[in-house]
Amino acid sequence: MRMLEVKDLSVRYGTLDIVKNVSFSVEEGEWLMIAGPNGAGKSTVVSAIAQSVASTGDVFFCGKNVRQYRSQELARHIGVLEQNHAVNYAFSVREVVGLGRYAYSSGIFAGKSDADDDAVEQALALTGLEALADKSVLKLSGGELQRVFLAQIFAQDPDLLILDEPTNHLDLVYQKQVFSLIEEWRKEPSRAVISVVHDLSLALAYGSTAVLMDRGEAVAFGPVQEVLNADHLDAAYGMDVKAWMQSLLKQWENI
Amino acid sequence: MGRSGRKTESFSLLAYLAFACVMLAVFVLCVSVGSVSVPFSETVSLVAGALKGNAAPSTSSASIILASRLPRVICVALTGAALSVCGAAMQGLLKNPLADGSTLGVSSGASLGAVIAIAFGITFPALPFAGTMVMAMIFAFASIVIILSLAYKLDYSLSTNSIILIGVIYSMFVSSLLSLILTFASDKLHNITFWTMGSLAGSSYKNALVLLAALILCGGVLLRLHRELNAFAVGEENARHIGVNVRRVRLTVLIAVSALIGVCVSIGGTIGFVGLVTPHIVRMITGPNHAKLMPACLFGGASFLMLCDLAARMIANPLQLPIGVVTSLIGAVLFIVIFYRSRRVS
Amino acid sequence: MNTKKLLALLLALVMTLSLAACTSGSTEPAEEPAGEAEGSGEAAITVTDMTGREITLDEPATRVVALSAADCEFLYAVGAGDTLVGRGEYCDYPAEVLEVPSVQSGYDTNIEQIIALEPQVLLMSTMAQTEEQIAQLEEAGIKVVVSDAQDIEGVYTAVEMIGKLMGKEKEAEQVIVSMQAAFADLSNSTAGRGKTVYFEVSPLEYGLWTAGKGTFMNEIAEMLGMKNIFDDVEGWAEISEEQVIERNPDYIVTITMYFGEGPTPVEEIMSRTGWENVTAVKNGAILNLVDNELSRPTPRLKDGAILLNNFVVEHERELAPAA
Repeated sequence: MRMLEVKDLSVRYGTLDIVKNVSFSVEEGEWLMIAGPNGAGKSTVVSAIAQSVASTGDVFFCGKNVRQYRSQELARHIGVLEQNHAVNYAFSVREVVGLGRYAYSSGIFAGKSDADDDAVEQALALTGLEALADKSVLKLSGGELQRVFLAQIFAQDPDLLILDEPTNHLDLVYQKQVFSLIEEWRKEPSRAVISVVHDLSLALAYGSTAVLMDRGEAVAFGPVQEVLNADHLDAAYGMDVKAWMQSLLKQWENI
Repeated sequence: MGRSGRKTESFSLLAYLAFACVMLAVFVLCVSVGSVSVPFSETVSLVAGALKGNAAPSTSSASIILASRLPRVICVALTGAALSVCGAAMQGLLKNPLADGSTLGVSSGASLGAVIAIAFGITFPALPFAGTMVMAMIFAFASIVIILSLAYKLDYSLSTNSIILIGVIYSMFVSSLLSLILTFASDKLHNITFWTMGSLAGSSYKNALVLLAALILCGGVLLRLHRELNAFAVGEENARHIGVNVRRVRLTVLIAVSALIGVCVSIGGTIGFVGLVTPHIVRMITGPNHAKLMPACLFGGASFLMLCDLAARMIANPLQLPIGVVTSLIGAVLFIVIFYRSRRVS
Repeated sequence: MNTKKLLALLLALVMTLSLAACTSGSTEPAEEPAGEAEGSGEAAITVTDMTGREITLDEPATRVVALSAADCEFLYAVGAGDTLVGRGEYCDYPAEVLEVPSVQSGYDTNIEQIIALEPQVLLMSTMAQTEEQIAQLEEAGIKVVVSDAQDIEGVYTAVEMIGKLMGKEKEAEQVIVSMQAAFADLSNSTAGRGKTVYFEVSPLEYGLWTAGKGTFMNEIAEMLGMKNIFDDVEGWAEISEEQVIERNPDYIVTITMYFGEGPTPVEEIMSRTGWENVTAVKNGAILNLVDNELSRPTPRLKDGAILLNNFVVEHERELAPAA
């Protein structure tokens, strides 16, 4: 079933076209990778889908325009994980993860329900944060903090997960952790993932479909192997990407 | 963990009781100590008599306690609570522990509104003091909108530096407008000058009632938004992603805050730093969760300002110091400490 | 906070100019003007101003700028009002002074404005101008004369000095004599003996400010045998409402101005809750002096004193049968 459909999405900052008429779609169970060189407009596409920046064109979730969803309703369907987090106050890990349940709160004086508590505890367990649950987020490392916000999204329990370079500043251990966690999460029925990635190997390893972007435009969309073929990448990056990647890998053979 | 359906994140009844006791103790202290010393037993019997609805005896101590000191202390407590809740809300909304009506220049904006009302005789026939109050509220709101749109233009992440910079510039701008008005309305100079000195002396029960109504209404709105404020305090983008209606919540908070600051400024003048200091101290005890922070700020702010007022009344007795002098003195020092710490962390 | 500081300064300015007294007490003992003219030049006039500076004029001044409200009043009092070519913006008495072009004074003193008026003499009080400003004026050929009356004696000195400067010694003498006569008369008045009085400078709404020790109001009260309830406070000060109620004055003198809307200052005081039992409020013994009669160091201090005394006499007469 079609989960997300993006049609002619454009974003302008002043007179500058950051994103030009981008269209693609995501089916249930897919992991869509958005790839491309720096400044191609990858993150902006994601922000536009999440309604964080003004855009023209349409985004449909399950056939309904996302602009017609109420904020909480949309958050129950789509979760977004940003690449950076800076928290100024000493909230506990559990409190930040608990905010993921905001989409399910209702009424004026409503507190937390047992379902909320369970979802939070599960998310903490899934991301291995149980031991840190009562620790202040100000005292965490960058990797731990990213896991906290991943746990928040798991608690939020959306159908579609949008990730903006989720492992950008993280070392390999965390990178593997995060991608495995998301891969596990995606395997549940009626779920899908969109992520912006820099690392093309990661895109190939985890993606089922991909969009390749170059200077604001989607130059290719389809199964990941087709989109990230040598011709497309050469055109977008202006270099022989495949040869470079392979020469890098060769270094490991002698170790 | 209780299995009883919905749980609240806020304090237990016992904790509320403890806060109320502390505040009540401060209140009793502030009513029984003053410029003129009235025996404690007499104070108690006077207040008890008044509560029972007895006519006040025609003694000077009765006048002092019931007509002067009691309404003043009540107004001070309500103002302290209101300004502190506003400060906590702004600090959450802007994710910045240095945001406050006085540092941002919202209070100066409100006083500009009030001064314009005095200078040009803007009044509403039904309520004699409503002119300054409504103008103060409108200008407070306009100030917040101006300051924030400037700040967002300059620096979307609203960093501490840009907030403080814009607050300073805006305050200077407002004070130059104030002197301009003073030049044109020199016949009201006397009135305006004394008004801007800000005074809770001569507070009446009517003032207390207005403050209470504003606090229940606007403070109630702010307290109810504790989850949204938590989300904003973690980050505005994150708040949007977890389903907070960012625009609506921000507008609601700003309207409630400016209305409350407007009422406080029109009654007591600009009292700086209360909204900055109280949430900071309270946060050290309760943590940053607004479900606890906001109600604790009500009690903490009331107690803090009552104590500042007591100091203002007693330090140079029979002279009175403006209450703002005491709060600014304490506030400025704490401001530097917070600023220093926040810079060291980041 | 900037606004606060600015306004505190402005307040200080208002205090200085419209009340023209300072809390620091008598920093400068008022010196008698040096009476003798220098031997040479028959017409030469030499005076010592109230900061001790010597000023020599060839002939009585005909073009004068006066910055403080009191200086304007002195000029009119000695009959030299027509020499005024410029006045400080807060000068408002007598009414015709308002027709004289006004210049900025106090902290905003505009030297160019003053020089453009080409006065021979600039009269001002001590507090507002800087040394540099005075030097600039002297360079432009303007004689700067400082009058700084801190008490009634100081008023006499100032009147005498200005009379001499303007060639109106006789008129000045008359002003002094009439003031002395009025005060001598008043000090024999017994109506107010032992009564207490509270001087209100700013109303409750803005915080109560009063005039304590070292103010003209206090001096006049003493002259009438009345006791200022805040004679333990120095100068102008904010005091607590509680203290007023506790000290329970027999009389209240307010100098709040009335702008024609809302309750008058007297009505406002009468309506204050908690003040019902204050003797002055019970008896309606509240006097509103609207023209700075008691708050400015001018010859009109005697008018203020007479107004207050008459008010007290009348009230005591009304109260007498009841008592």
